[in-house]
Amino acid sequence: MTESNALLKKLETAVSEHRDEVMADALDAALDAGAPSADVRHAIMQGLENVRHRLMSNDFSIPDFLICIDTATGGLDRLSSLRKDDRAGEEDISLVIGVVEGDPHDMGKNIIAAVYRTRGYHVFDLGREVSKDTFVRSVQETGAKVLALSAMMSTTMTGMRDIIQEVRVKSPDTVVIVGGAPMDEKLAASYGADGYAESAVNVLEETEAAVKKCSSEVLRNL
Amino acid sequence: MEINSCVNIMNSEKESGSLGRIIKSVLEGHAPPPDFIPEWLLDDAARFSSIRGRFSRLTNLERLVTVLRHKNPDYVPCSPMVFGACRRLTGASYPDFALEPDATAKSLLAGFELIGGEAIVPMPDLSVEAADFGQKIIYPENSTPHPDYTDPLIKDVRDYGKIEKIDLRGAQRMQSTLKVNHILVNEIGFGGIVSGFCFGPLGVLSMMRGAERLFRDCIHHPSDVLAALDVITEVLIEYVEAQCDTGVSAVTLDTLFASWNGLGKKLWEKIEGEFTSKLANAIRRKGCIIVVHNCGDGIYFDSQIHFMEPGIINFAHLPDDCSSRKELKRRYGDQVVLMGYIDTSLLSYGTPYEVMQECRMQIEDLGEGGGFILAPGCEFPPNGPLENAVAIVKAAQLYGQTHGGKR
Repeated sequence: MTESNALLKKLETAVSEHRDEVMADALDAALDAGAPSADVRHAIMQGLENVRHRLMSNDFSIPDFLICIDTATGGLDRLSSLRKDDRAGEEDISLVIGVVEGDPHDMGKNIIAAVYRTRGYHVFDLGREVSKDTFVRSVQETGAKVLALSAMMSTTMTGMRDIIQEVRVKSPDTVVIVGGAPMDEKLAASYGADGYAESAVNVLEETEAAVKKCSSEVLRNL
Repeated sequence: MEINSCVNIMNSEKESGSLGRIIKSVLEGHAPPPDFIPEWLLDDAARFSSIRGRFSRLTNLERLVTVLRHKNPDYVPCSPMVFGACRRLTGASYPDFALEPDATAKSLLAGFELIGGEAIVPMPDLSVEAADFGQKIIYPENSTPHPDYTDPLIKDVRDYGKIEKIDLRGAQRMQSTLKVNHILVNEIGFGGIVSGFCFGPLGVLSMMRGAERLFRDCIHHPSDVLAALDVITEVLIEYVEAQCDTGVSAVTLDTLFASWNGLGKKLWEKIEGEFTSKLANAIRRKGCIIVVHNCGDGIYFDSQIHFMEPGIINFAHLPDDCSSRKELKRRYGDQVVLMGYIDTSLLSYGTPYEVMQECRMQIEDLGEGGGFILAPGCEFPPNGPLENAVAIVKAAQLYGQTHGGKR
C-alpha cells in the first residue's frame, strides 16, 4: 500500500469512528502526499458508507451516525477550503430536499440531506415546514434532478400529494422520492412518487433506482 | 389457602392500604387498581371468565382481566387508541381539544361510545409536560400541537442546568390531563379501563431541546443531560402518582427513544433506563398497570422489561431481537401482554376491510392463549377515516373469538 493509500484508509476509518482530529490530520497528510481531491472525497464518503448500512440495527445508533456525519461534513468542508473550486468526485446531480408544510420534525431530513451531500449530490436544503409553492419554485430554479420530501406526521403528509402533482406539471423530468415515519411504499406510490426510502440505510439505493427507472422511461418515450 | 391469603392481606399494613383503595374505588364506581388485587383472585377470576366466555359474552372488564392473566377470553379485547381523531366527533378544534379538559373528555367519551373497545388509552400530544416546564408550543388548527423548535427552551448545553422542578399544582396542561382522567374514570365506571399517559423523561427533554441536538448531547455531554433528566423525572413521578390517584387502572409511559429510532440500546440504558425505572416504581406503588408505549422501529423489549417490568407493551414494529410475530409471541408472550400493532399508514389509507384482514392475521399470530390486546401501534391518525377505527373493534369481535366461531 502506498503512503497516500494508507492515509486515505486512515481518513476513511476516522470518519467511521467519528474521530475529528485524526480525520483532519489524515486529510491534510493525504493531500500533502499527493492524493487527488476525488480520492480524498471518496475516502470520506466511504467512511460514512461503512456505517450507513449498519443503521436501524443493534450495530450502530442514530446518535453515533449523527456524529459521524459531523466528522464527514467537517472533512468535506476542510477539503473545500484547501482545494477551492476542485469538485472532482462529486456527482453531477442537484437535489432539493425539505419537510412538508406544518411539520416541524427535521432530524430525519437532516440525516438524509447529509447522506446525499456526502455522496456528492448538490443539495438544496429548504428546511422544515416548507410550502408547496416553495418546493415547486425551488425545483424549477435549481433545475433539480431529484426532489426528496419528508413527513413525520400523518396529519401533514397529505401535503406531499399536492406537491408531487404540481411538480409533475412544472418540472416533469424531476424524480420524486419520499420518506417519513407514517409513510410506506404503497402510500408513496399512491401519492405519485417515483420512489420511497424507509431510512438512511436505503435512501441512496432507492434514489438511484428511481432515477434509473425514470431515465429508462424517458428513453422509451423518445 | 385462599382464606389464609385474605387474612395475610388484612394483616399487612401496606396491603390493608391496598384493600382500602380497592374498597374506595368500588364505592366510587370504577375499577380498582389492578395490582392491589391479590394475584390468586385475579387468576381465579380469569379462569372463571375464560370458561364462562365459551358460553356467554363477558363484560369489558372481565375480558381485559382474562387476557391480562394470559387466559383466553370470549374474544380478543381492543383499544382503537382514537385520541385526536375524536375531536371530529364533537366538532372541537384541535387547540380546544388539547387545552380544554371538558372538550377533550367529551370527545373521548364520544369515541368510546361510538367506536367501542375495552380500554381508553388517551394519547395526548407529546408537548404536555414540556409546555409546563416553559417550552413554547404551537397549536395548529387541524394538526397535533408541537414545540416551537425555532425557540427551544434549551438553546445551549449550559441551559440543561437551568431546568428547575415545577409545582404540579400550577402546571396547567398536566392539570388538564388529570381532569380528563378524572372525568373519564367516573364516566366509564366499570365499563372498561382508562389509562393515564406520561411522556418519558428523555422525550420531554427532546421537546425542549430538539431530538437531533439532544442525541448529540447524549454522547458529548451526558452528565448535563442526566442532570436535567433527574429534575424532570422528579416532576414526572408526582405527575404519574397524581394520575393514579384519579382512579385510572394503568399509566402509559412513552419511551420512544428506547428503539432504533432513538438511542442505541446501551446508551438508552445509561441515559434513560434508571429514570424509567423510578417512574414505573411510582406507578406500581399505586397499584396501577405499567403500559409501555413505543412506536419506534426495533424497540428494546428486553431492556424495557428489565427497567420497568411493564404489564403491557404497546408497539408499532417488531422488537430488535425478533424477526416475526410468532417469534415475538414465543419470546415475550409470557412476560408481558402484547398490545398492537396495526400500521398507521394502513389506518390512514387502507379500506376498512383491509384493516380487518390485517387485524385477523395479527390475532391469529398473537392472540392465542390471551396476553394480547388488538390496537394500533401508535395513536390512531388524527385525520384518518374513523370507519377504520370501527373496523378494528369489529375485527376483534369477529376474528378474535378464541373458542371457535370465526377463528
